[in-house]
Amino acid sequence: MRALRSKLQRLVFTVLAVSFLTFMLTSLLPGDPARQILGGQATPEALAAVRDDLGLDEPLPLRYLEWLGNAVTGDLGRSYQTGQPVTEAILERAPVTLQLGVMAIGLALLLAVPLGVLSAYRAGGAIDRTITGGTFALLSIPNFMMAILSIYAFSVYFDWFPATGWSRLTEEPLDSLRSAFLPALSLAAVNIAVFTRLLRSDMIATLQQDYVTMAEAKGISTSRILLRHALRPSSFSLLTVAGIQFGIVISSSVVVEQIFAVPGVGRLLYDAILQRDLMMVQGVVLIVAIAYILINFCVDAVYTYLDPRIRHGTT
Amino acid sequence: MESRRRGLVAMALCLVLATAGCAGGSAGGGDNSIVVGLESETTGWLPGQHLLTNYPSLNVAYAIYDPLLRTDENGELRPYLAKSLVPNEDLTEWTLTLRPGVKFHDGTPLNAQALKTIFDEYLTAETSNLLGPLRFVESMDIVDDLTVRYHLNQPDASFPAVLEGPAGWPFSPTAAAEMGPDEFAANPVGTGPFKFVSWTRNSELVVERNENYWQEGLPHLDKITFQVITDENARIASLQSGDVDAMQTLRQSSVRQVRELDDFESHDFIGNLAGGQLFNTNKPPLDDPRIRRALAYAINQKAILDLLGGSDLSPLATQWYQPESRWYSERVAQAWPHNNPAKARQLVQEYTNDPNRSDGKPVGAPVVLEHNIIPDPSVVEMGLGYKAMWEAVGFVHNMHQVEVAVITDTNASGDFMINTSRFSNEDDPCITLRNAFGDPAVTPTNYSNFTHPVLEENLRTLCTTTDFDTRYQAVENIMMLFTEFVPHTWTGHTPTAVGARPELENIGGWRFPDGTMGNGHPMTVVTWGQVRLAE
Repeated sequence: MRALRSKLQRLVFTVLAVSFLTFMLTSLLPGDPARQILGGQATPEALAAVRDDLGLDEPLPLRYLEWLGNAVTGDLGRSYQTGQPVTEAILERAPVTLQLGVMAIGLALLLAVPLGVLSAYRAGGAIDRTITGGTFALLSIPNFMMAILSIYAFSVYFDWFPATGWSRLTEEPLDSLRSAFLPALSLAAVNIAVFTRLLRSDMIATLQQDYVTMAEAKGISTSRILLRHALRPSSFSLLTVAGIQFGIVISSSVVVEQIFAVPGVGRLLYDAILQRDLMMVQGVVLIVAIAYILINFCVDAVYTYLDPRIRHGTT
Repeated sequence: MESRRRGLVAMALCLVLATAGCAGGSAGGGDNSIVVGLESETTGWLPGQHLLTNYPSLNVAYAIYDPLLRTDENGELRPYLAKSLVPNEDLTEWTLTLRPGVKFHDGTPLNAQALKTIFDEYLTAETSNLLGPLRFVESMDIVDDLTVRYHLNQPDASFPAVLEGPAGWPFSPTAAAEMGPDEFAANPVGTGPFKFVSWTRNSELVVERNENYWQEGLPHLDKITFQVITDENARIASLQSGDVDAMQTLRQSSVRQVRELDDFESHDFIGNLAGGQLFNTNKPPLDDPRIRRALAYAINQKAILDLLGGSDLSPLATQWYQPESRWYSERVAQAWPHNNPAKARQLVQEYTNDPNRSDGKPVGAPVVLEHNIIPDPSVVEMGLGYKAMWEAVGFVHNMHQVEVAVITDTNASGDFMINTSRFSNEDDPCITLRNAFGDPAVTPTNYSNFTHPVLEENLRTLCTTTDFDTRYQAVENIMMLFTEFVPHTWTGHTPTAVGARPELENIGGWRFPDGTMGNGHPMTVVTWGQVRLAE
């Protein structure tokens, strides 16, 4: 319980630090939000009126405290550009990015687990070398390049998946899976490589344990040894990294959502930065930071559950 | 156990293949529906509150709103939604009469009272972004149920052009009042050929046929989905894969790709818009015309255009109007200081050895240039091209990569020497040139701060007469002045393209209600209300 309280305190401190830094840094970005709203022909009077309306003339610390006070009550302010409440804008788009993240990590695990197990089982052999080479190739392709390549391969050439656009999971589930597949694949590519390599090295270490030798001596089948006895103890690092990667997938979605025209949080953030919509940038970064911290918090909790040595305070 | 695992793998594969198997088919999702890929969109659709001037957004705006006036194929402004617009003798009063029987999408009538409410409560509100374009309009009166009169505080021959833009797109004041500005901006109600259905910001906007449209037989399409695809490659790939039926591009490299696509048509247009380097004529040493001329003489425009993607696509610019424009002047094209490094070197030497040189440096000290460019790869390459050319004639060139927002801010504050910029548009020359070169004291968009008595006189003529020959002469005089005083340099005019399935007809063939041909699809702005899908 004490550990939980301590973790929560650290979480609150981290969120505060993130929000303060984001507010200050975005406020220091060059570009006048009032001019972005009114355009080049704006009269000085109109510019002054907009600045006053948005409270841009008030001192920065005062603006931060006011924003923070409202944020605690769930009010992240209104977009400078659209007038839409920031919370509403984020809630509209969060399911989209969440779906992409889950699909990307799911897809990565789905492919990486068998590849990692196979690679470890055949360590040093031709299959292992092929898989290792493939993961190196995946690691070296940036996600925006993977996005463009997958569009040309799976949309233009094979015509299997749509190149752009989005359907909501709640409205058209099958179309939604189709429209999310290529963005998820682009986000998953690097993770497939990371997960495969991580699992491979952990599995190799596990397969050298005495209890595995014992299992083999008892005549247990290879597949049972690999999947029942070796995979679980080899998955702890994979689980931790998958959690961290989930947060990274959310930040990578800024680029991928742009390319695939996906209306997610990443795209919202990108457009807000370009439009100097500081209130929106601030809100999105805060929510993403909180999500990132919570995911890691949950991973820690699951990790404790899965590994009895941690639960019982032993190593 | 083994078979269960195999079953799971098979299920996963089936799911992927099943989702993939649903691919293909028409992009529009219906017989008479289409999907259009756009480069960007606006932040809201309420004139006065949101910037509705970027070209991709105009595709949507002209589907939902009808402009009071539009430009015909000869470049003349003619009534479109309006029935007539008549000025008084000195162009200070403009009387506009509306067509009878036109209704907004919510069923309320378009009449003089609606125009008056829109003008008073939205277009001229304290924070309206149309206060600049409407700065010469003192008031608007209702004459009768279908007639209003605009009172201007000075003669303005370009006033009709203001009514072609967002200040002349009537929207339902009833709906705007009921919803409030923010909600209306996300749910626009106009008189256009299509009614707004839904909008997912920065993703897609859907409109459907307006059954009660005032132009009989229009629109031809039942539904249009405008999809925002910012990535150029993805937008072109979406056209190739059939996810969109048409797409637009304002990028040179993409225009080339669209033209090379088999099975699709490229509807091209060369815009007046042209790139170049803006000089702050208040800032030494650029306050000296010799230096500005030297900079122009040093540039090999064709080489710069090749760095940007190809001189074969983009005509070299020498003035604010492209060669096909009615305002283009061959005389100006000849007079522009074309590449002549020897002459450039001579002018730099003259300035360097001038004891009264404007930058206050001693005789013989090098002339230093501070040049801001945006960090786009092709623009950086272009910047390096300028560096080589300008340093070859004796300048010291410092290049700074800055964000677009910094360019915008320094343009406005005057704290720059040379900024990468873009010049000209498809507007009336009075509006375009007055905004760019009006009295710097009262014109916040005169970023070069250039002014000259000949410029002032010709601007006055241009903006106070409707006679084309007189106006043409005024534009030519201004352009000739620029060849001597060089407030900025040029690269090339902008090639644009709308790529579309061949079944989409009449992309650029829209007409006025009386049958007069319109101005096509300037800068990829298509009048979708008159586009049809072939059987």
